[in-house]
Amino acid sequence: MRLACDTGGTFTDLVVEDGDEIRLFKASTTPDDPVRGVLNSLALAAEHYGRDLGDFLGEAEMFIHGTTRAINAILTGNTARTAFLTTEGHPDVLVIREGGRIEPFNFTVPYPEPYVPRRLTFEIPERIEANGSIRKPLDEAAVIAIAEKLKLLKVEAVGVCLLWSIVNGEHEKRVGELLAKHLPGVPVTLSHLLNPTLREYRRASATVIDASLKPLMFQYLDSLTRRLREAGFAGRTLMVTSGGGIMDAEAVARMPIHSINSGPAMAPVAGRYYAARDFDGAAAIVADTGGTTYDVSLVRDGRIPWTRETWIGQRFRGHMTGFPSVDVKSIGAGGGSIAWVDEGGLLRVGPRSAGSTPGPVSYGKGGTEPTVTDCSLILGYIDPDFFLGGTMVLDRDAAAEALRTKVADKLGLSVEEAAAAIFALATEKMVGAIDEITVNQGIDPATAVLIGGGGAAGLNAVAVGRRLGCAGVLIPEAGSVLSAAGALMSDIASDYAQMLFTTSRRFAFDEVNAVLASLEARCRAFAEGPGAGALNVTIDFSVEARYAHQIWEIEVPMTSGRIETDADLEALQQAFHDTHQSIFEISDPGSDMEFVTWRAKVSCQLREGGTGQLPMPKSVSHELGRRQIYFSETGWTDAEVIRFESMPSGVPVAGPAIIESSFTTVVVDPGTNAVRSEGGGLRVTF
Amino acid sequence: MDGQSPPRRRDGVKTAILASRFDSIARKMQNTLFRTARSGILNTAHDFSCVILTADCRLLAAAESLPSHTLVGPDIMCRTVKAYHPDLKAGDCFLHNSPYEGNSHAADHCLIVPVVDEGGTLRFFVLAKAHQADCGNSRPSTYLGDVVDVYEEGALIFSAAKVQSDYKDNQDIIRMCETRIRVPDQWWGDYLASMGSVRIGERELLELGASFGWDELERYAEAWFDYSEEKMATAIARLPSGRRTLSSAHDPFPGVPEGIPVKVDVEIDAEAGRIRVDLSDNPDCQPCGLNLTQGTSMSAAMVAIYNGLIDHGVPVNAGSFRRIDITVRENCCVGIPRHPFSCSVATTNLADRVSNPIQRAIAEIAPGFGMAETGPIMPPAMGVISGRDPRNDGEPFVNQVHIAVTGGAGTPVTDGFLSIIHVGNAGMCRIDCVEVDELHHPIVIKSRALVPDTEGAGTFRGAPSARAEFGPVDGCVMKVLYTADGTITPALGARGGGPGSKSRAEKREKDGGLTILPACYGATLEEDEWIVSYSSGGGGYGSPLEREPERVLHDLREGWITAGRARDVYGLVTTGSAEDDSLAVDWAATETLRTTARAVR
Repeated sequence: MRLACDTGGTFTDLVVEDGDEIRLFKASTTPDDPVRGVLNSLALAAEHYGRDLGDFLGEAEMFIHGTTRAINAILTGNTARTAFLTTEGHPDVLVIREGGRIEPFNFTVPYPEPYVPRRLTFEIPERIEANGSIRKPLDEAAVIAIAEKLKLLKVEAVGVCLLWSIVNGEHEKRVGELLAKHLPGVPVTLSHLLNPTLREYRRASATVIDASLKPLMFQYLDSLTRRLREAGFAGRTLMVTSGGGIMDAEAVARMPIHSINSGPAMAPVAGRYYAARDFDGAAAIVADTGGTTYDVSLVRDGRIPWTRETWIGQRFRGHMTGFPSVDVKSIGAGGGSIAWVDEGGLLRVGPRSAGSTPGPVSYGKGGTEPTVTDCSLILGYIDPDFFLGGTMVLDRDAAAEALRTKVADKLGLSVEEAAAAIFALATEKMVGAIDEITVNQGIDPATAVLIGGGGAAGLNAVAVGRRLGCAGVLIPEAGSVLSAAGALMSDIASDYAQMLFTTSRRFAFDEVNAVLASLEARCRAFAEGPGAGALNVTIDFSVEARYAHQIWEIEVPMTSGRIETDADLEALQQAFHDTHQSIFEISDPGSDMEFVTWRAKVSCQLREGGTGQLPMPKSVSHELGRRQIYFSETGWTDAEVIRFESMPSGVPVAGPAIIESSFTTVVVDPGTNAVRSEGGGLRVTF
Repeated sequence: MDGQSPPRRRDGVKTAILASRFDSIARKMQNTLFRTARSGILNTAHDFSCVILTADCRLLAAAESLPSHTLVGPDIMCRTVKAYHPDLKAGDCFLHNSPYEGNSHAADHCLIVPVVDEGGTLRFFVLAKAHQADCGNSRPSTYLGDVVDVYEEGALIFSAAKVQSDYKDNQDIIRMCETRIRVPDQWWGDYLASMGSVRIGERELLELGASFGWDELERYAEAWFDYSEEKMATAIARLPSGRRTLSSAHDPFPGVPEGIPVKVDVEIDAEAGRIRVDLSDNPDCQPCGLNLTQGTSMSAAMVAIYNGLIDHGVPVNAGSFRRIDITVRENCCVGIPRHPFSCSVATTNLADRVSNPIQRAIAEIAPGFGMAETGPIMPPAMGVISGRDPRNDGEPFVNQVHIAVTGGAGTPVTDGFLSIIHVGNAGMCRIDCVEVDELHHPIVIKSRALVPDTEGAGTFRGAPSARAEFGPVDGCVMKVLYTADGTITPALGARGGGPGSKSRAEKREKDGGLTILPACYGATLEEDEWIVSYSSGGGGYGSPLEREPERVLHDLREGWITAGRARDVYGLVTTGSAEDDSLAVDWAATETLRTTARAVR
């Protein structure tokens, strides 16, 4: 038995995988002590199975955990007091960044503060050049003097990022040794070990973020593993990483930056599996709907999309991690987005959100602004008495009244017309976000399937998919806990990188192969250590390359781990042209190429074939009844309401209809058809 | 057109949805261009813009891009296309870069596509403007400040030249470009990227027309313009009425030994909800490359106005433009250029000298609005470096760098944005990474850091100056060409704020000594010679004595200012020490010091 648990902002989701069956549980997140929420979700599961918690946990081999702990600590400024050590002459790496700005006429947003203040930034006398040669030797006495200052300043963590440490790490290493000696007990992160990537700002940024999380994540993971053990768990605790893999909790405690994007990163992993199972491996647009954000990612040819430009917060306004991460684009649109009418009489949705507190008006927890969730209640999409399986009763009248005064009257519309308009506008925003990334990655939505994850996904996934002109929409049976389900499908993985600049014209075969060999050795060591006992081990090599005189590299997959012959080099060049063509729709076969950073990723597969299925409940009736629901095209219409779990596969349901489970509601628009796949997901086509 | 027509009934829902659709289309055009462009100036520096206009050439939607590109100019260029080609057909595309007919400088190539429906009716225009790495100038730079006219500048000029019919290229024009433009492959790649962008915009608009109906889209456009105009009127009504005439001056450059004075006459009429700017009382066109085009002079004025409103909720389009009157005259260096005067540097230097006094004038008329002046450019750390690369068999290299440039102006609500670059850029372009520059070019960037006490002091201060020192690697001779304004006239503060520090260029000789360099210059550096560049600081907004003490404390703790300046300029008295990070505001002493200082002023 394996357990996957994802702690989100509002809910702590748990998926229990027992053989070929999975079961889903949701508990409230407990922000003051998130481990309590985890234990609550486990207690719910134990109760369901009619077991004592200790017995139940005793049977589990693996506990896989995703958490927003690290990201929340960063967003609320509750990280360690961290110092930044940089090359002499370059104190403002974290201040100057790489430039860039959004909203040219918006001067109300100030320039971002550096992640580490200038007063905790120290210049190290030393300089290495681009070719790795030492221009100025390291001044060790100066480092020791700085260590003394850090002591005086009560610094709790240190990030070290020196220029060109990626080609020659000696200075950074020596600084690390000196700090260990003269500043004992204070965690240190060295940039060339953490994130050996070109561009000093993003490397430094990743380094200081990692350092700043060390004390806190060590403590959190220590508490989690200890309390799980006390509760009876004797298996292995793993953490979900931003890279869409899983790692031992102890390893993440040593490199906590791995955990900052851990939740959203799992959605495409799950999406990839469901698209392959239920839509013949079509390109998948994976949309995960939360209370405040709408996270979108693309999976094509079974590849999880990667980026090295991940931002914490808004682009150019937050901090870039520069750390390889699953590429997920987030827009501020969710069930909590507030609808309003501006002074010019225009309907608006967001960017303000009611979040989970006070939440939508209908929650009756003090919310007064009408939200998208309130609208879905007004339109009849959500059953006020069956929200989250009936654990929470919603106040439809309050929602309608708020919408009438705040929106409908101002627009001269009926309450339901206003609610439908708000849905249409929210749909439009989501379509815009998806359009942007599909264009960026050269995917035609017409050939892709939209996968809806998150509890609120089903409310307008069909509308979004239809507007995009997708091949279809898929709501997986575990869609409401997509990230946790993804965690069960992930591999134990790690990736390694090393910079070595060379060109296609004068390709440094020997040096490149030496780099590749060392990367491979590190992958093998990982496979024999944390990955021991895997069903299958794969090592994927890739290189970040560009045409001569371009600035931005793209990642090119390599077919083998060595470049021995001219033919190998030619194949690599061809792979680059092909990748460039597929991303940018152009290639330049005549052009010289530059290779910058070499990468290897090792994946140790734990389980065959994704994850198990939700069992069909025996006692639940198929049709729950009928309900009046509203669409702009049809007005109020009488619709079938069907229980998701009891739907047999292969029997189509024609819209308009509502398909409900304890965790999600799917609106099947008029003119569309829903059918349950063999695997258990809900396919909607139009 | 002038806002006098009776208000139309607006559908707040449909308008919102279509506004989102049009924005998405403009963004899609922009993304297509960005992702497919070949040259660094496009795919790194983002120096391009994509816009949608109505059939009668009014700006309807623009993707987020350089303000100086988009506000005025696309309208004039589309009118030019219509004038020369009254019978527009589906499949047409026009290449236009004439500075005398609405474009900015000749290096900005525009592709203009008329969106023609199935029945042959013109419905919209889409336009993509992209700064080329080369445009066939007489020398390898797209900014030639020291040329007497367009002949010496040497750019290929296209005036609404039909580059595609029936969606097929006119090879005559392609060959002209390939023969004359220095990096023809790169140009061709960028041409394809721009073409992809306008064709995607066209396709999406045709689909939109098919699904909503063209009449509906026309109704939408008018409703959106009306809405935008109302938002603009409301925004202007928050300001008091008033009028100011302010001046500024571009530094002396070759061809203009006295520099170029610029005078702006700004009037806010809050009751009527209008802002007027008169630029006509300014010098004639000058025998240098600094002259503005009609597009860049009017856009420069508009940038200042939208900056000054401090309300980014006002949509920037022909609807809100109805509330702005800008007067320019023919044959004026900040108006309408007369052929054959050169406009090679029309987007930056002199344009900033138009925007800056206007946003300052708004501040002087309207407390809580307007902005101080943004730092002028371009210091050596933004120059063009060239030479032969000893690491690469002596291959020639040439590129513009963006190593260290700052300049953000203090505003009524925030401190100057550090990486604004210059006022017309609004910080939309990027700053170089040291490692990327050192990998690409035989250059060593010895240092790059902010300089304390260089901010224009204020209630909200300007951005400080950045200092950078760089030179060639061993065995290389490197040339650095730059055109630095702001060595004499700094970015001024507004409403009692101080000026930002001036820009400066120096050379560090082999013996370590420093020599001052001219403002517009080409420095040659040998091994162990370095150029030292100081960017201009931005001006401050409001009296520094009114700056919140916590903000002053922050700047002091963070080393943006020194203890002396905190006390003397900002009137801050502190307790504790920087050594153990225990500095704190001494509130009573600060208030006493400030009261005394206010009395002296």
